[in-house]
Amino acid sequence: MNNIKYYAFPSSVADAMNILLNRKYKALVMAGGTLVGKAIPATAETYLDIRNLPLKDIKVKGGKLVIGAAATFDDIDNSELCREWAGGILSQVASQCSSQLIRNMATIGGNIARPHSFNMFPVVLMCMGAEVMLETKNGKILVPYASLSQNKNLKPGENCIILEVLLPKKTKTQTFEFIKLAKTKSSWESYVTLCFSNEKKNPKFVVGALTPRPFCAVEAEKAFAKGAPAEEILQKFTAAIEAVKVTGYRAEAATNLLRRYLGAE
Amino acid sequence: MNKEEILQADEDGMFTITLSVNGELGQMIVSRNESLVEALRHYGWKGTKKGCDTGDCGSCTVLLNDKPVLGCMMPAVAANGGNITTIEGLGTVRNPHPIQEAFVEAGAVQCGYCIPGMILSTKALLDRNPEPTEAEIRKALDGNLCRCTGYVTQVQAVNIAARKMKALKKKQEKTAAKEAEKAARRVSRKAAKKNK
Amino acid sequence: MEEIKDAKDLKVVHTPGVKLDAMGLACGAPAYTDDVEFPNMLHAKMLWSPHAYAKIKNIDTTEAWKVPGVKAILTYKDVPRVPHTTAGQGYPEPSPYDTYTLDNTVRYVGDRVAAVAAETLEAAREAVSKIKVEYEVLKPVFGIYEAMEEGAPQVHTEKDSKNIPDAKHNIAAKFDFEIAPKKWFEEADYTFDESWTIPYLQHCALEPHTTICYFDNNGRLVIRTSTQVPFHVRRIVAQALQIPVKNIRVIKPRIGGGFGSKQEILEDIVAALALKTNRPVRLEYTRKEVFISSRTRHPSICRIRCGVKKDGTITDLELGIYLNTGAYGSHALTVMMCAGSHVIPMYHVKNNIKFIGRSVYTNLPVAGAYRGYGATQSFFGLECMMDMMAEKIGMDPVEFRKMNYIRLGEGSPVFKAMGEGREGVEQFITSTGLMEGIEKGVKEFKWYEKAKKYRKQKGSIRRGIGMACMMQGSGIPEVDMASCTIKLNEDGSFNMLAGCADLGTGADTVLAQIAAEVLGVKHTDIVVLSADTDVTPFDVGAYASSTTFISGNAAKKTAEKVRDMILAVGAKILDEKVENLHLEDRKVVAKSGASCTLSEVANTSLYYYDQHQIIASASHYAQTSPPPFQANFAEVEVDTATGKVTLLDYVSCIDCGTAVNTQLAQGQNDGACMNGISHTLSEGLEFSANGTPLNASFRRYKIMSMNDTAPVRTFFIPTWEPNGPFGAKSVSEIGINGPLPAISNAIYNAVGVRMHRAPFTPDKVLAALKEKKAAEQAE
Repeated sequence: MNNIKYYAFPSSVADAMNILLNRKYKALVMAGGTLVGKAIPATAETYLDIRNLPLKDIKVKGGKLVIGAAATFDDIDNSELCREWAGGILSQVASQCSSQLIRNMATIGGNIARPHSFNMFPVVLMCMGAEVMLETKNGKILVPYASLSQNKNLKPGENCIILEVLLPKKTKTQTFEFIKLAKTKSSWESYVTLCFSNEKKNPKFVVGALTPRPFCAVEAEKAFAKGAPAEEILQKFTAAIEAVKVTGYRAEAATNLLRRYLGAE
Repeated sequence: MNKEEILQADEDGMFTITLSVNGELGQMIVSRNESLVEALRHYGWKGTKKGCDTGDCGSCTVLLNDKPVLGCMMPAVAANGGNITTIEGLGTVRNPHPIQEAFVEAGAVQCGYCIPGMILSTKALLDRNPEPTEAEIRKALDGNLCRCTGYVTQVQAVNIAARKMKALKKKQEKTAAKEAEKAARRVSRKAAKKNK
Repeated sequence: MEEIKDAKDLKVVHTPGVKLDAMGLACGAPAYTDDVEFPNMLHAKMLWSPHAYAKIKNIDTTEAWKVPGVKAILTYKDVPRVPHTTAGQGYPEPSPYDTYTLDNTVRYVGDRVAAVAAETLEAAREAVSKIKVEYEVLKPVFGIYEAMEEGAPQVHTEKDSKNIPDAKHNIAAKFDFEIAPKKWFEEADYTFDESWTIPYLQHCALEPHTTICYFDNNGRLVIRTSTQVPFHVRRIVAQALQIPVKNIRVIKPRIGGGFGSKQEILEDIVAALALKTNRPVRLEYTRKEVFISSRTRHPSICRIRCGVKKDGTITDLELGIYLNTGAYGSHALTVMMCAGSHVIPMYHVKNNIKFIGRSVYTNLPVAGAYRGYGATQSFFGLECMMDMMAEKIGMDPVEFRKMNYIRLGEGSPVFKAMGEGREGVEQFITSTGLMEGIEKGVKEFKWYEKAKKYRKQKGSIRRGIGMACMMQGSGIPEVDMASCTIKLNEDGSFNMLAGCADLGTGADTVLAQIAAEVLGVKHTDIVVLSADTDVTPFDVGAYASSTTFISGNAAKKTAEKVRDMILAVGAKILDEKVENLHLEDRKVVAKSGASCTLSEVANTSLYYYDQHQIIASASHYAQTSPPPFQANFAEVEVDTATGKVTLLDYVSCIDCGTAVNTQLAQGQNDGACMNGISHTLSEGLEFSANGTPLNASFRRYKIMSMNDTAPVRTFFIPTWEPNGPFGAKSVSEIGINGPLPAISNAIYNAVGVRMHRAPFTPDKVLAALKEKKAAEQAE
């Protein structure tokens, strides 16, 4: 925090945006601070703490599950709504992040703001087709999560604030499989994280932890949708992993886990 | 924008923050580079320890607004306006908290370095979940590393603490009920006198 | 006086007595080294080497001095050049004198280059970053076998180092021992030749190494430090900085764990900064610095060649242990010797025995003392080999072990042949509960039920069971010495001044219990102070599992002397003969029934009559080192899709003689086993190609949390060790040696692969499974 001159803790989103967009402050949004806190860039001069913003609620609105960006992993783990939605997968993911003390501090917003292989939620949000509500200089916008990282104009924490994560209505009754393969339960880094859905029309095989952003094994998904034999699906899956320059153990273990999911062991 | 919601550092990068520690309201002057655990230790609360400075061992656990957080992962300035409880705020040797008693009884204190953090995590757990299962205990305390005990006596300690706190609560409820009854009798006696 | 010979007659020993310092620590008492501040204190920071091997051609501190608040910068030019060892061992230390407070050669990434003391930590850090060093980078060597080869880079070329057996071939220590009455493997039906390796492991004590040096009112240097060996610190700092022992005082406060990493003298540089500035100086290692620049376990290759007969007789055993001692030879000889002496005697070997020990210098972090101390490395190999032999001859591994372990009254030629730096001492087993431990473990673990259940398994997730037995030692015979002083106060309480180092083990409480048993009081009636070199008498310190056995015996002897003094005064008060008196319940009690309180005795002796302070000191050193024994059982689940190994159950049956404090003894064993489980499944330092550690943090070097594995189940097998205080032996080290072989054997039982390289991380297990499949398909 060598160059931090201001510590701001606004209680309204409007106030927060005023600071964020005001060049004088050179502000950086901080939520739990567990990922970025020890590595705040020298360009930041204002620590913009969002802890007092009304972004902690978890509710159902318009049929969608809406999770406030400042909801912590512990909040999500213990939320009745999250435990009942989509077989409880969001609570499961939250509960498998690092340790209780980190879960008390880290937020879902912080977990999706910047690409990082440690992040837990991206792989699941991509699998579930989540959306993200952001506050920008032009007001609120809703974007599919999958496109968030592709949009060069949106830099969460720097020129916009993540307000909410939304899960589509249909995911309420779907089942997803989330696997974190790591050395120990509290490891920040995983060998691989996976999120699978075997919905006939829209299968998803999403891979995380290998790259800063998770990716879908698209060819494998297509093969599954077409009803191809398991070995073909798995071959395409391995190829997708090798395409991001990951070979050896992580590729093998991930493929084996998909094989198990497909019931083809 | 509310002027009270922004603090400015002086030319040496020092912030003046206002917070409450163990029920005592006060101010601290902290460097922008100082973490919460460093600031607390600097101001004399030596019970909170620094074991790794990367948020991985839990020795620096304190309660912030009753929630266990890692003191090494928070800049001190971010504690502004907060209510902090350190191990010293829970109890003293002459007047220990039931959780502190439980850890001693169970033989769960070996080198003791992880214990303040472990005890504060236990308090938060038992406040939320007064009768946790073993799995719930292990999950709630998984951020507090210990290299001495193998965690066996510590799980026992949490169970003992849960029993003690349950008994204490019952006792407090009984006492409160008695007081209420006494007060009610006083009121009715007064009323009776008045009516005479 | 009737000597107690049975644990059931004990009143204070063998109870779960409250740990004397526990409540204070549970309430956050400022008891650790860093919890006290001194006026005008400076903060120190070290400059560490970025190269694995280099000569310092030039150090320029000009820019560093310009940082405001800097008060001292030390380089090799500013401190005496005195070859010494940092190993906290008795004098003369059985380790090479190959270390210098600061040197002009750096021998590993993380070696000392310079030291800065400044008004603030930030200033010190900034100054360190501004020191300009010109290095002549040399070619390093990293492999154990490579370092011994002809022409390998020589880690120590300096002329003034001493006691290096063969610097040219990087040998820091070596020992060969052979008894060969017959031709090798002459009678064996099957022979084996296998190797096992472990990587760099770190103790991960939660409290980082911390030292504060300051001066007392008479200008003496006071070292307040997190150490296991206060007396060795005093002597070696005196040696390294060329100041008299008389002018140094070492105070050991409460310590946040050590496990061997604090059996090392790293205080010299802090002392040098204090002497230079005449101000208090504080140095606290960061976690990264603890990983890299304090001490580690010796990585090792254990190669075993042995022979077995179809009837289960082990005919020959050759144990070769090759240790990587890193850049300096601290503990190089002694860890290597224990890898043989604490291990080989456990086995009945019919004919030939051979031990080959080599400790090798490399340009990597310095290995030192770590719980287990060589036995960990060797038992990994030997107890896996036991399973291999049993399987080859088709014998039940439980029965094979029972047949081949040392029994009560037996000895071994290895005990005398292999001491720690000197010749060893002949020994016979005077207490053992090993067989009972195996029986108990088989029962509690449900060994045979599980074996039956897991004989036929289907699917990709498999379970398996494995066992391993071990022994350790209790102090170093005829080397380790401890002493103690006890005095009586007016109210019948006592002060005990003990030189032993409680590093969280509860040694203070254990010694108080032993003394209280003799004195007929509660252990809470004894106020223990340990350790302070000005105040407490000598003790080698906490290592080699010596505290209960040796320091405990010193406390017992001291208490007996004090008892005699109390009885002499009591005899005067009660007008009775001393022979008719004993101590009980804080009183002197006569056979006739008359009694007086200890308080009366104290006041009489202090104030009324024949005034004298009832006080005594005694020392103890042992002529034996009776081993504790242990049987370990592990149940694992292996996911063959990912190679992930999950521990489902772990049973540890330990014979430590009498457990002085039953709660603390259990805690020691639970913790030792968990430490072993953690390094079996998760731990290992990784290095880049140029010797830079890559995962020196708790973030990436993962030790087990409360939620990571099934709990350890410890059971005690009571025996009575006649040489121990009230039958006690040691308890704290042995547990760490079980998990590696027990879990390796369990994995083999589950999926048919033998893991020879620790840690058994998923990638290694999956690779082993693939190799096995490929070999099967090739057949």
